[in-house]
Amino acid sequence: MAGPGSLAGKGRGAGLGRWRDLGGVLALLLVMGWVLGRMGFFDPGRLAGGLANFGRFAAELFPPDPSVLPVVLSSLAETVEMAFAGTLLGFILSFPLGVLGTRTLFPRPVVLAVRLLVAIIRTVPSLLWAVIMVIVVGLGPLAGTLALAVYTVGYLAKLYAEILEGVDPEVLEAVRGLGARRRHLVRFVLWPEAANTILSQLLFMLEYNIRSSTVLGLVGAGGIGFYMQVYISTLAYGRLATVLLAVLAVVLLMDGLSAWVRRHYLLQG
Amino acid sequence: MTAADFTPRNQAAPDPAIEVRDLWLAYRPGWWVLKGVGLRVPKGELWVVMGPSGAGKTTLMKVLAGLLPFQRGTVEVMGFRLRGEPPRPFRQAVGYIPQQLGLVRGLTALENVLLGTLARHGGWGPTLGLFPREEVERARDYLGMLGLGDKAGVRVFNLSGGERQRVAIARTLMQNPRLILADEFVSDLDLPRAARILETIRGLVRERGLTLLMNLHEIQLVQDLADRVVVLRDGQVVYQGPARSLEWADFRALVEAEDGGARVAGG
Repeated sequence: MAGPGSLAGKGRGAGLGRWRDLGGVLALLLVMGWVLGRMGFFDPGRLAGGLANFGRFAAELFPPDPSVLPVVLSSLAETVEMAFAGTLLGFILSFPLGVLGTRTLFPRPVVLAVRLLVAIIRTVPSLLWAVIMVIVVGLGPLAGTLALAVYTVGYLAKLYAEILEGVDPEVLEAVRGLGARRRHLVRFVLWPEAANTILSQLLFMLEYNIRSSTVLGLVGAGGIGFYMQVYISTLAYGRLATVLLAVLAVVLLMDGLSAWVRRHYLLQG
Repeated sequence: MTAADFTPRNQAAPDPAIEVRDLWLAYRPGWWVLKGVGLRVPKGELWVVMGPSGAGKTTLMKVLAGLLPFQRGTVEVMGFRLRGEPPRPFRQAVGYIPQQLGLVRGLTALENVLLGTLARHGGWGPTLGLFPREEVERARDYLGMLGLGDKAGVRVFNLSGGERQRVAIARTLMQNPRLILADEFVSDLDLPRAARILETIRGLVRERGLTLLMNLHEIQLVQDLADRVVVLRDGQVVYQGPARSLEWADFRALVEAEDGGARVAGG
């Protein structure tokens, strides 16, 4: 701000502010060092030994074993399907929950109830949701898809409520003043004003879910994680390397795809 | 705020469009923004509210538009006694143009104008984007009349300031209001442009026998435009009278010792 207040802040006041900032950064670094020290980060023998192990592991990853490529690709396709279906299902549930959690639209008790529900969902990590869904619907990609959907709701519903609350209240007030009902406000004010951000977050969630869906197979919830676990436990690191490279290719492809969607559809506002 | 209490008055009597008595409003306990405001605007007249920044002009406008609860006094607008959330017939009778216009930037000019019909089309059609054909035609006519015929399909964020003002006017006209409340909605325009927009709205208001109450800063425009002027200072009415009898010097004397929020062309 360029007001008189900020001008008055120059001189001694600003100098003090700088020392305070420096002190804050130093304090943060000290806390970080203390935490790392407690974990054994500053134990040179331990780190040196660990680095040697990592070198051996990295060396055994090469060369990647292409013989498993067909099975890796088909389970990777299953992983991507799970991520797509789970993210979209989660989105369909998240948007209405986000609307119900918007303080500028609904009374406080409704907003608080929705936000509590979403916070509870978010507390459980996606891998645990996968375990729960395996218990509910059995082994396989359906469990993984449902786990990703629920996990998505935990994040998107919260983000959407916050995005919708950020819509200019004067526009809401003006359209309310035209006699608009609540559903009109959602359709004609909140959605058009926030659609770009909402879809952008959806793309981000899809990218995130593609990454996280690769490990859901660890608990039998379908996808490529199953093979990751098998190759790690049988020390078949060449095959594991093939899996990791294939996942990397899909993640890069997805990043490129979402960048393209953003450029062509979401940046016009 | 108490529960809704609306008493449509006898329409046969020569009621004023706006009647405010001893209106008190505070956003926080003890911090009064309006302090006993009284106002009586006859139907079919053009009134302007002036005053320095922070005088309570926008607050008064929002109360009259049924958008703000107040603590004390009585407010009757177009025969509706305001208390709590007003009913839909009130929303049809009273058009409100806020200072920042309140247009939805992501919708087209035509879609924004069609929002003016929402009070009378409560069904699910509009929610699905389906407005009655005759309403769409009317909306196009209004845009054409205001010189925006070729901009109907353009999103508001691609329109200029003056074009947005005209979209806001068209949206208000779509409501079929009997009273238009306009809150300094030309304050972002240069003087000639503001004068043109005000000329347009004055023509429409006179032609249709509507009542107009607007907040305005530019005293030259006020003298050309308005029948009467109300000067608000520190939440109180300090002057009420014919627009032509108020000179810039008088106005300055009225708001003296305030922050000088009012402005005059070239001065």
